[in-house]
Amino acid sequence: MYQPLVHISNLSIKYGNKTVLRDLNWVINRGENWVLSGESGSGKSILLAAIAGKDTKHDEIRVNIFSNNQFKPVCLYISQWYQFKNLEGVANFYYQQRYNKQQAKDTFTVGEELALYGKENQLDPAELDEILTSLNFGSFKDAQLIELSSGEHKKLQLIKAVWLKPQLLLLDQPYTGLDINSRTNLNHLLDQISLQGVQIVITCSENELPVCINKYAHIENGQVKELDAFLPSIKTIPLITKVPSFLQQAPQPSAKVMVKMVNINISYGDKQVIKNVNWEIKAGEKWLLQGHNGSGKSTLLSLVNGDHPQSYANELYLFGNKRGSGESIWDIKSHIGLISPELHWYFDKEASVWQSIASGFFDSVGLFNDLGYHKTQQVNELLDYFGLTEDKNELLVHLSLGKQRLALLARTLIKNPELLVLDEPCQGLDEQQTAHFNQLIDGICSTARTLIYVSHNQQQLPQKLTHRLVLSKGEVIENSTYNLEKELA
Amino acid sequence: MANYFNTLPLREKLDQLGVCEFMDNNEFLDGVNALKGKKIVIVGCGAQGLNQGLNLRDSGLDVSYALRKEAIEAKRDSWKNATDNNFKVGTYEELIPSADLVANLTPDKQHTAVVSAIMPLMKEGATLSYSHGFNIVEEGMQVRKDLTVIMVAPKCPGSEVRAEYLRGFGVPTLIAVHPENDPQGKGLAQAKAYCVGTGGHKAGVLRSSFVAEVKSDLMGEQTILCGLLQTGSILSFDKMIEKGIDAGYASKLVQYGVEVITEALKHGGVSGMMDRLSNPAKVKAFYISEELKKIMRPLFQKHQDDIMSGEFSRIMMEDWANNDSNLLKWRAETGETAFEKTPAGDVKINEQEYFDNYTLMVAFVRAGVELAFETMVEAGIKAESAYYESLHETPLIANTIARKKLFEMNRVISDTAEYGCYLFDQACKPLLADFMKTVDTDLVGKNFNEGKNGGVDNRELVHINEILREHPVEIVGRKLRKAMTAMKSIKTA
Repeated sequence: MYQPLVHISNLSIKYGNKTVLRDLNWVINRGENWVLSGESGSGKSILLAAIAGKDTKHDEIRVNIFSNNQFKPVCLYISQWYQFKNLEGVANFYYQQRYNKQQAKDTFTVGEELALYGKENQLDPAELDEILTSLNFGSFKDAQLIELSSGEHKKLQLIKAVWLKPQLLLLDQPYTGLDINSRTNLNHLLDQISLQGVQIVITCSENELPVCINKYAHIENGQVKELDAFLPSIKTIPLITKVPSFLQQAPQPSAKVMVKMVNINISYGDKQVIKNVNWEIKAGEKWLLQGHNGSGKSTLLSLVNGDHPQSYANELYLFGNKRGSGESIWDIKSHIGLISPELHWYFDKEASVWQSIASGFFDSVGLFNDLGYHKTQQVNELLDYFGLTEDKNELLVHLSLGKQRLALLARTLIKNPELLVLDEPCQGLDEQQTAHFNQLIDGICSTARTLIYVSHNQQQLPQKLTHRLVLSKGEVIENSTYNLEKELA
Repeated sequence: MANYFNTLPLREKLDQLGVCEFMDNNEFLDGVNALKGKKIVIVGCGAQGLNQGLNLRDSGLDVSYALRKEAIEAKRDSWKNATDNNFKVGTYEELIPSADLVANLTPDKQHTAVVSAIMPLMKEGATLSYSHGFNIVEEGMQVRKDLTVIMVAPKCPGSEVRAEYLRGFGVPTLIAVHPENDPQGKGLAQAKAYCVGTGGHKAGVLRSSFVAEVKSDLMGEQTILCGLLQTGSILSFDKMIEKGIDAGYASKLVQYGVEVITEALKHGGVSGMMDRLSNPAKVKAFYISEELKKIMRPLFQKHQDDIMSGEFSRIMMEDWANNDSNLLKWRAETGETAFEKTPAGDVKINEQEYFDNYTLMVAFVRAGVELAFETMVEAGIKAESAYYESLHETPLIANTIARKKLFEMNRVISDTAEYGCYLFDQACKPLLADFMKTVDTDLVGKNFNEGKNGGVDNRELVHINEILREHPVEIVGRKLRKAMTAMKSIKTA
């Protein structure tokens, strides 16, 4: 008898106190590959996790997996968040731990992790090599998991999924953090396994989808609506509320040259990750930093942010002072508003939205100080601006990734910093929110403020960028002025 | 060298034991200034050495590492730790003579050799810093009179010292100045600056003395922290096996149970932990912990007495001289217990189940924490010191058991703690033999509330709650925990 692969009838799910999915109906038939769009927080992730039966089993969802299929009779959900554990089975890492070298071996290497995964799931090692090559991951076999960047962790997570070939593969925002080549390569891989019979559901807000996608749906008001074509997101939020007054005026730059790197080299053992990098950022410049996954962007930014132990052995000037001349990392951070995928990953999810934003005054992960009246007002203004007032007492862990990200973006701005370091700031946001945020950045990046902006997505950038640095394999391959309009023309 | 404590007149002994001041935040307003521009040389680059050094350097201080020549030549882990993080590394001869502050962060056992080697090289008027006072107090190390001797002891493993610093916080820290070695009166200012450099000032600093630190630290680690957790874990596991509980389940309950239970202790003290039980289970746990306190009190007192008299360190140092023969034998024996050899089963135990099915451990922890605290305070140690060395550290040690059981705990803790732990464990098990005969699976292995109606007598419950909440360890704990509000939950999967 014919049965659809997934049959959902009248599914309702609450998250915290809010009903996210309401009487939802959806059928995934054999041979269908879906893309699911929807605003941030609309319940896409919750729906996929529910289909996979991740936390609780829902009687309203029936997944009919063939057991005689040549593929693994499983339904695999790949969440936006990657996870790994140390050798003792504990997932207790701290922000920037990967830069602190310790002889005690903390985590598996990529090779060991994959070997174990292959063994547990009885997979063919020969197939793995092909996947590794197509995602440019072959050279990472000896890297410890703790050493990987966020984009590299994402790749590893996808490599495992493609290798497993589950009957139903549910991918939640798989392109997040991937460079352009990797996105294309991932799509090829997905098309390949789909030809072999794997069925795929993707949530994303990208235009470039695998060819195999043949069904489109949008999630809105807790229900799935089928569409005729892909609709990344619907623009409903009115633009622009007034920029909080304390952000309208950037502080006086503390130096003419904010950052100066002279022949910077960084190696881990024999592996050189930054090679002879020279980079000067003058006050008021707005830089776009680009490069493939693993090209060294995050490492370079960790130097700017005072987080890399090897900065002491390099010729580096921050805000006019030579690094290692008696300044503390807290002195350095006080000039900078930072967001990065890693900061988000390691952030204390037990902190409330309000505490998270307020902690930006002190550059701490979690709030350990009292604010006083004036600063409290600033937090409230930003909460309002980002539409988070209703959620201010919620713990991050109870919010969608998109909302968590908004809170951390507000944290980045709260002290009105002279230098903004925005490393893929809009991960987890939908198109509308991204456009809105970039507009805000343009609005507050007057002449005085300095900006470093990292994004793989050429379509979604602030307008005011003036310069571009491109890295490849740790080396600068472009260092030039930049004009977005010309680039897009 | 003679035991320093024993050379003191009683008046002086009590004075030093009683040094204990919970420091106010505004005592640290001078930041790291007392050490700014000074050369700090750390001897040893293990977990404490490396992570303290990383923090001090990130606080704007000048840090390098002095290692033994052989460690440098053989490129040992300590050499790699330091050079991989771009620290300057050199031999004692190269770095010690120019140092303004030398931080000895080697294991206890090496202290006499290390300090004897570096002392002649140190420049006039420099400072020698320790993280533990055993060498000064128990071994009676005499330090050159022109040198200042201080202690800065973060009360957490090295990796936590780093992790908390990078969050913008720190770990609770104990500081002290040795009264025999403070010729210029600069010791306290430097200890405070060092403490700021490691981030400790944000998480609560206790000003102590070398004597108080050693006598309370030894007591805590031998009794509640390691000794009782070991004894309680093994007895609980064996009881479950005897009563036919699935071995995999029993192993998992014991391995992770102490961590989950003491996490409640960390945030809410003994009463917070007891509050996690149902009312009938709490009443039961209260009475059996009262009984446990009665049975074990003489043993706790014996440990404190031997620590105070120097008897404990004397026999342990005999074993050092004997190539650790007892220590190694006992370590091997611990590796062979049934609990150690039974892997945790692939069963899901939810958080509340660890309390409901392991009421016995809750009783053990309450009895052990209160006994250790009471015994220390009776011996002249102040309540704040006693709190740090009993209740505060218990969750940290429990975390090591959750990782890889008792063998791991004993690997991570110092050899000194490990030695004391075995002494306690061997004496405690026979003491509890009769008590354990009365224990059934409702206390360990099965849900205590199963088949009971859940009712309790109101007056009895109110009375018990009062006793729990008004215990001195709870009163001082409420005050100290307020300063540590940002303590992170330990995340295990």
